Amino acid sequence: MTWKVNRRLLGPSMAILAAAASMSSAQGQDITFWTQPQGDLLAYQDLYDQLTSEFREQTGISVNYEVINWSVAFNTWLTVAQGGAAPDCADMYWLHSFSGIGGEQYGPLPITEYRDQWPNLEEDFYTGALADVHYQDEFYGIPWRVDIRPMMYRTDFLAEAGIDAPPANWDEIVEQGLALTVREDNGNVSRWGFAPGNNNPGQTLLPYYWQAGGSMMSADGTTATIDNEAMRTALKFLQDLVHVHKISSPEMFEKSADPLTDFVSGQVAINGSSGNAWPVQFDRDYPELDGTWALALNPEGPENRDSFSGAGYWGVLRGASDVDACIEWLKFLSSEETMQRISETTGAASPRRAVMSSGFWTDRPWKEVMAETLNHGHTSQHPSSVWTALASPEPGAVIYDLVYNTVIGGADIDAAVTEAQARMQAELDRATASN
Amino acid sequence: MTRQKYLFCYMMLAPALIITGALGIYPMIYSLWMSFVEFDLLRIAQFGTPFVGLDNYVAVFGDPRFIQTVVNTILFTVLAVAATVGFGLLLSQVLNATYPGRAVVRMMVCVPWFVPPAVASAIWMWLLHTDRSPVNFLLQDMGLITSNLRFLTDSSTWGPFSLPMLSITAVRVWNGLPFAVIFILAALQSIPRSLYEAAEVDGATLFQKFWYVTLPSLRPILAILLTLLVIGGLGSFEINYIMTGGGPQNLTNIMAVYSYQQAFSFYRFDLASAASGVILIMTGFVSVFYLRSQFKRTL
Repeated sequence: MTWKVNRRLLGPSMAILAAAASMSSAQGQDITFWTQPQGDLLAYQDLYDQLTSEFREQTGISVNYEVINWSVAFNTWLTVAQGGAAPDCADMYWLHSFSGIGGEQYGPLPITEYRDQWPNLEEDFYTGALADVHYQDEFYGIPWRVDIRPMMYRTDFLAEAGIDAPPANWDEIVEQGLALTVREDNGNVSRWGFAPGNNNPGQTLLPYYWQAGGSMMSADGTTATIDNEAMRTALKFLQDLVHVHKISSPEMFEKSADPLTDFVSGQVAINGSSGNAWPVQFDRDYPELDGTWALALNPEGPENRDSFSGAGYWGVLRGASDVDACIEWLKFLSSEETMQRISETTGAASPRRAVMSSGFWTDRPWKEVMAETLNHGHTSQHPSSVWTALASPEPGAVIYDLVYNTVIGGADIDAAVTEAQARMQAELDRATASN
Repeated sequence: MTRQKYLFCYMMLAPALIITGALGIYPMIYSLWMSFVEFDLLRIAQFGTPFVGLDNYVAVFGDPRFIQTVVNTILFTVLAVAATVGFGLLLSQVLNATYPGRAVVRMMVCVPWFVPPAVASAIWMWLLHTDRSPVNFLLQDMGLITSNLRFLTDSSTWGPFSLPMLSITAVRVWNGLPFAVIFILAALQSIPRSLYEAAEVDGATLFQKFWYVTLPSLRPILAILLTLLVIGGLGSFEINYIMTGGGPQNLTNIMAVYSYQQAFSFYRFDLASAASGVILIMTGFVSVFYLRSQFKRTL
């Protein structure tokens, strides 16, 4: 009896649900979008509330967005790349690794056939950022934020040491570092003259290696190219900072090292490759330090003054329910006006040239430096799915071991480079071998 | 009636068994399976997960870093367990005595237990930071050292010991001590007072009372405590990973951290599973040893 009653109710209910669903799809599509927060979380969510609402008014497409906390972002994307629950489109990063892990089943979807929807991509965006959305001749999305790392220095310490301008090249780094390092009688160092970067040996090495004229691998990602003079030059320079000139801390690559706190507390005078979020943080959290810090272009190495750069991008995921709707959303997001709003709200440097030359990015000297540094931006990503493993900030990773053992451990550079070349080639083969 | 009673018991147990099975047993078996196949995230889409036998175990035991982590893990566990039990015995005696303010002292001793290991790690990273450590300031003010100690970064070694390893062990002991103290304190309170009175009549000294009355009475509890601490020590992760990441120069790296690095930094879930398999064998050995001794005792 009960079953009959339920069946009687079930029929009309299903009909109502089906009608509702068809009405909904007739009115517009629904897509899901995941993003990681930048800047203030509440402001970021407010912005996306506004953007999704405006987009729905314009196109009838509803975007259900979800903010993924950075603390779980890596595991989330790793799961997505292995077939876990995925959105239709998203704000992503590390294209090469997640593409490699997902293969042709999961992870980022190439959208090369839609590339002409952005006819002026090369003119509108910085070259370094565009490298992060291309892999194996395919186009994967639009870069929307860029992690560019200029040099940051304490103007008060430089003035105190009688230095007029920050170091413009490697020689001046050493000169000024010596003048700025403060060593106490008991051997304690109360201020290091120069910190080359952060506590990630791979990220720290890269700009110096590029500045010496090196590249990590061949353009097709199959051949390691680190056994060269440029690598020896870069490693020797970094090794000397620690062991010969003693202007950089031998603890700089340890987990407990915190370059931002060191800089704020005055324990470091110059940071050669500082996080792009630092200036925004300084403005917001350390108003008492206003006027004591400034940005400058990365000092020139033997070949150039390349800067570490990494871009986050908007892309589409394999298995997306409606790729066309996602492309519409990406086009909306990547318009100059929207990217301007996003950059202003988040404080993140934009890979769009027009945004970086707008009033917002030219009203302070540090912002102008940030925009200028983007012209020297060199992508930190490389065309192999194994790149993030090679450059992992953990002992055992090829680049970590190379840099740590030579720069901190004082190991023989020639032998270390030869060994690293062989290990790196084996890793590249692992990602590309046909079995 | 008996059948209904059993059914009821199984029904009551079912939720716990299902959760243990789904979140404990199944992942463990799946992880063991992964240790016998190639499970390389960068190759899985193309080549799947072919069976490789013991290759992953051969690979991890062929890695000098892993061998060092095995040694470090054993050293770390032995030091942490010995110190925890030693201080636990001492502190529990203090907490068992009767004196004004005992409740406050008991609460103070328990405080580190309320601090999650991740938070404890962050606190101690600051306390032991070379340039900002208040411990260094204090030691210098007292004239015990002349320059800063590099608690977490000094790569000098004395045999298998290093300052970072000792520092990490100290943090582990600080965090785990209340657990041991409460365990031992509960056991102390169950020792009949008459045993101590009899010992006093026999003229036993304080040490003799501890050695001949307290320690034998605590033996069953200490066996459980040691087993739990050893298992916890062998599988320890957070403090080492957060405070040093295994550095400097692999001196504080332990097996669980090695396993994590293989999986989430190098995408080698097969090697990570093999390393975890070794942890499982070691903890399994300790558990079997303990269960066997318990079984013998009940016979």
